Amino acid sequence: MPLAQPVLCKRIPTYPWGDPKDRHYVGYDQFTATGGYVGLTKALGMAPKAVIDLVKEAELRGRGGAGFPAGLKWSFLPPEDGQRRYLAVNADESEPGTFKDRLLIDFDPHLLLEGIAICMHACRLDTAYIYIRGEYHAQAKTLNRAIDEAYTHKVFGEGSRLGQINGLWPTCYVHRGAGAYICGEETGLLESLEGKRGWPRIKPPFPAVAGAFARPTIINNVETLAMVGPILDQGAAWFKSLGKGRPDGVPPTVPASFGPKLYGISGHVNRPGVYEENLGIKLSTLIEDHAAGMLNGKKFKAAIPGGISMGVLGPDEYHAELDFDIGRKHNCLGLGTAGVIVMDQDTDMVAVARNIARFFAHESCGQCTPCREGTGWMYKVLTRVEAGGGTLDDLDLLLEVSASMGAMPGTTICGLADGANWAVRTIVNKFWPEFEARVAPTRSNRVSLAVVGATH
Amino acid sequence: MAWIAKNSAGATIVRRSEPYLTPALKAKLEADVLPRYPTKRAALLPVLHAVQHEHHWLPAQALEEIAAFLDLAPAQVLDTASFYEEFWLNPKGKYLIMVCQSLSCELMGQKGLLGKISRKLGIAPGQTTPDGKYTLMTAECLGSCGSAPCALVNEVLHENIRADNFERVLDTLE
Ligand SMILES: Cc1cc2nc3c(=O)[nH]c(=O)nc-3n(C[C@H](O)[C@H](O)[C@H](O)COP(=O)(O)O)c2cc1C
Ligand code: SF4
Repeated sequence: MPLAQPVLCKRIPTYPWGDPKDRHYVGYDQFTATGGYVGLTKALGMAPKAVIDLVKEAELRGRGGAGFPAGLKWSFLPPEDGQRRYLAVNADESEPGTFKDRLLIDFDPHLLLEGIAICMHACRLDTAYIYIRGEYHAQAKTLNRAIDEAYTHKVFGEGSRLGQINGLWPTCYVHRGAGAYICGEETGLLESLEGKRGWPRIKPPFPAVAGAFARPTIINNVETLAMVGPILDQGAAWFKSLGKGRPDGVPPTVPASFGPKLYGISGHVNRPGVYEENLGIKLSTLIEDHAAGMLNGKKFKAAIPGGISMGVLGPDEYHAELDFDIGRKHNCLGLGTAGVIVMDQDTDMVAVARNIARFFAHESCGQCTPCREGTGWMYKVLTRVEAGGGTLDDLDLLLEVSASMGAMPGTTICGLADGANWAVRTIVNKFWPEFEARVAPTRSNRVSLAVVGATH
Repeated sequence: MAWIAKNSAGATIVRRSEPYLTPALKAKLEADVLPRYPTKRAALLPVLHAVQHEHHWLPAQALEEIAAFLDLAPAQVLDTASFYEEFWLNPKGKYLIMVCQSLSCELMGQKGLLGKISRKLGIAPGQTTPDGKYTLMTAECLGSCGSAPCALVNEVLHENIRADNFERVLDTLE
């Protein structure tokens, strides 16, 4: 069932409820006049723990890529000790295909600020840093404008309606990054916030225990926090009445796909943009109804479901349901950011794989050898295959290298390598005939590295 | 590529008597930026941004001044500054054109666009025009996939770019 009323896009005109041409910055006054900060008022009337329990009950899953349940994350914080605790808001949005947080920041930043304030109250966090990617110049300015309004109206700052937290008046700042995708990884973000290079940390300790400045820290994505105000306002049952819910037959411990979600759609479609829909919307519906069909009437060939880290959906997966269960059902990494990139019949999948490998080779932070070298190899091999100089050995090597790098195979610190791995592996596997046709049909019977390792 | 070590051993530092981190800028940073963070080092990115905003790039002397200002070793400042692509440790043109080359932009014609800009300016990506006016770079995803192809010109994002229009935009830059 399509989403009846927009939630995150309530004040941001979006098809089918409104025309994007009418979008404009929603300031404090308009925000409050249209039901804004009601969720905060309700939260402030509740004990902090009760707020966490409500978010837990709503089963709100993180919208930044990993889909971790937000309420559960909040409950991992140690008891208060009177010292400082931080909120790091992830507005690094650098995953190719993803441009949803930008929409919220551009037009309805108070929705984010409300979520931030609720989270600070619930988790007893005194300082929030919104870590925004450096290239978002206009968005950083917009955020500062909204934050100034929020200070004026005592959301933050001296005399804040939140009261003092850890002996301090709650504060909220914008912290600008400087052009590094890896600072979107939560611990890379924390290192960067501390003024260092954005090298992801080895976990544990997890940020909830020792995060920014070695203090307990919550990290959430912009869209996750923006959802918190409406949940406080309208309740967990309302939230759970939206979206796809829990897959059939799985125990209640398995995280489910509740609520609406922002879907970014780009590539070969007529009306690219950000749309809000129930979790679980079909890819075909998103393309045909929201994005007004394929560009130039061409045929669908492939789509990235949620940022290039997630891998690819092939021609027979046109009706895939875009929910948190997509990874299991469609052999990709997951829903990711729900930034969908659509490709038509004429798309060269070798070029797509090369483009993606280049991104990861460029953005690897270089700490872990399998990632630093592996992404570089994949890029070089794919460049060679694209240029026509590849052999079957190259494809074997691609699959072998990609399968061996990542936090899940256990060879790297962070998930960047898993993203590179899944992207390349799923494209090569799902479009094998296309790759095979591009290379010379020879194998050198070279012994694979994996086999060499196994003989010891 | 952040991890490629930049060889700075033996580099001579060009110095001037006038500081890059001026007393006025210092006072502003001390009032507005340092109090935001529990450590001085955490102010490093905002301070680098502020100095680069004034001077357009970050000479080695500026890094030393920033180090002294934040009680850091110059090497720590260089370590951080050299990691981030937005920090320029060498001069760049007055207008920095960053053409996005990530997937949605490539699908929507980025290669042709880049080629046209490159021919118009007479420089390859990574180069600056001899008059110091334009620097052309490729960028990874600028977060504007729905309006691809896109490019940043200094702080301004251009979306749904058509090569002819964009060339006209470049012509109007002073
Ligand atoms: C390489 C890499 C890049 C990431 N980039 C982002 C990002 O730009 N924005 C974001 O919100 N999360 C990003 N994440 C996910 C974060 O690590 C983290 O899971 C998320 O911010 C948590 O927020 P959430 O639970 O609200 O989704 C990235 C993860 C990895 C491994
Ligand atoms: S996996 Fe890659 S990006 Fe992540 S820490 Fe290791 S080298 Fe850096």
